[in-house]
Amino acid sequence: MKGRRFRLLPHTADLMLEVRGEDLPGLFSSCVLALFSLLVDRRTVRGTEIRSVEGAGETAEDQLFSLLREALLLFAIHKFLARSARVTIEGKRVTLTLAGEPFDSERHSVDREIKAVTAHLMSVERSPGGYLARFIVDV
Amino acid sequence: MRFQDVEIRKLSDTMWEIPRGGGMRVPGLVFASEAMMGDIVRDEAIRQVMNVAHLPGILKHSIGMPDIHWGYGFPIGGVAAMDAREGVVSPGGVGYDINCGVRLLRSDLTADALRPKLRELVAALHREVPSGVGSTGFVRLTAEDEEKVLTQGSRWAASRGFASAQDIACTESGGALPGADPDAVSAVARKRGRDQLGTLGSGNHFLEIDEVAEVFDDEAARAFGLFPGQAAVLIHSGSRGLGYQVCDDYLRTMADYMRRNAIDLPDRQLACAHIRSPEGERYLSALAAAANYAFANRQLLAHQARETFLRFLGMGPNDLGMRMVYDCGHNNAKFEEHEVDGRARRVLVHRKGATRCFPPGNAEIPEPYRHAGQPVLIPGDMGTASYVLAGAPEGMRLSFGSTCHGAGRRMSRTQARSSVRGKSIVQEMERRGVIVACASHKTLAEEIPEAYKDVSEVVDVVHAAGIARKVARLKPLAVVKG
Repeated sequence: MKGRRFRLLPHTADLMLEVRGEDLPGLFSSCVLALFSLLVDRRTVRGTEIRSVEGAGETAEDQLFSLLREALLLFAIHKFLARSARVTIEGKRVTLTLAGEPFDSERHSVDREIKAVTAHLMSVERSPGGYLARFIVDV
Repeated sequence: MRFQDVEIRKLSDTMWEIPRGGGMRVPGLVFASEAMMGDIVRDEAIRQVMNVAHLPGILKHSIGMPDIHWGYGFPIGGVAAMDAREGVVSPGGVGYDINCGVRLLRSDLTADALRPKLRELVAALHREVPSGVGSTGFVRLTAEDEEKVLTQGSRWAASRGFASAQDIACTESGGALPGADPDAVSAVARKRGRDQLGTLGSGNHFLEIDEVAEVFDDEAARAFGLFPGQAAVLIHSGSRGLGYQVCDDYLRTMADYMRRNAIDLPDRQLACAHIRSPEGERYLSALAAAANYAFANRQLLAHQARETFLRFLGMGPNDLGMRMVYDCGHNNAKFEEHEVDGRARRVLVHRKGATRCFPPGNAEIPEPYRHAGQPVLIPGDMGTASYVLAGAPEGMRLSFGSTCHGAGRRMSRTQARSSVRGKSIVQEMERRGVIVACASHKTLAEEIPEAYKDVSEVVDVVHAAGIARKVARLKPLAVVKG
């Protein structure tokens, strides 16, 4: 991937992210990778294992929210860290496929605990270069 | 004072009223000095106080404490009491970290006696007390154990030899909220919690060695077992992943409930359900379970800290004298009796980033402290100070027996990080006389003292308002951060 596709916007208590993508699947996968980048330096993660999760939603916001929740649980429960991501969208259903590996305290430094991805101010909209998403994670 | 298009009325040097307008059922009431209020009106916290005032069943005021800041739906530093029959319960009014709270252990050691060994002691605490992301506790919980933790809280820890009778007696609600139902906690939430019991976590959670730097109220300090120059341990942690997941799960349940029941509120983050609805009752059962997990978590952390002190110093428990002062939560919703319009009413008090502070004589206060008032623990930033307060009578009249919970953030995490770029925070803290051991330097940078409001100003407001009075100031000597 060329450069960083996300940036942090000012927010007093939590972290607000702004993410760009050329199309919706690209935007969603960049959002998921942004989430993992908040946890760990992704360059230290090897893509040796594949995990797949599904989400669904009526709107793009709902789809993104459900994918991000599932992605966070992969780490919170299974200690899985992602290096790369691919998203496919079929109607209301979205599938996320991640390449990564389980957390290894010898090689990975996880910087912060993410309590949850919030639905607060979550937005997905068209932008000149494609799509733009904003969301807040509670840390 | 104005907030956007709203004129805020000054009631006294420490109290401000936001008049009822639009769909607000009650006015807003904010405790702050004039200078603090000038800062508070700059973010969205006042809007959130006004939004909370729209909730069905809210009584008297939607309340903001001086450490108020922008949170999820409800402001952090917010208090809202709902009529127990007609009112609603809202997960956003409690927060993700259910029953996050603070515990203070006193000792018979002086800070001066400890100082020469402090560096090694902190290293030992950092080793023995699990902190940081991905850490696991020293107790392996079976599914059956976890159910007991959820229903019995600190009492489960006592049954395993990790808590004394005095620990339990000096924990808010005896370390176990009634009505907890493990079945109301999802399998996902239980999985998130299974290996995290007895872990500190990260972010603003910490374990500190403090010195009692100043005593304001001799009698109360004596009752709490505190004296000037004393070494003490302060622990700040909560219900870990289990609590976060309970909140996340029920926010969705409540969003569905709101749609079905056509409850219209100005912000969808105020997702709520009537207390007496099946959804409301189930959330309250899950909330109690997560709160009990938090009590047990802080109990295990305290046990590990105490054991580390004993081993490291080669002392016996009687010589160390490391007894509980108190353990109080600051993210909860509890059924209590309060006087409203001249009569006693059963209410559900939401405290999100706010601490219960019952006044002298209240039957819920442990007997040795009852004449002094409930101990209230207010952690500040890691470089400055923390405070011990005692509940005072005006709290019952003005704020449903509630006070502030900490310093409150002033700077965003990104701002804090960029302000320290290139500096060693560990060295900077040492220059200020605080030894720091941490799991993540990124987290440490986000937690610099400058990122927080001045805790002394926050405490001075609640003291002057008469809702809690100052007992002692603690100065940090060493900090273990997640």
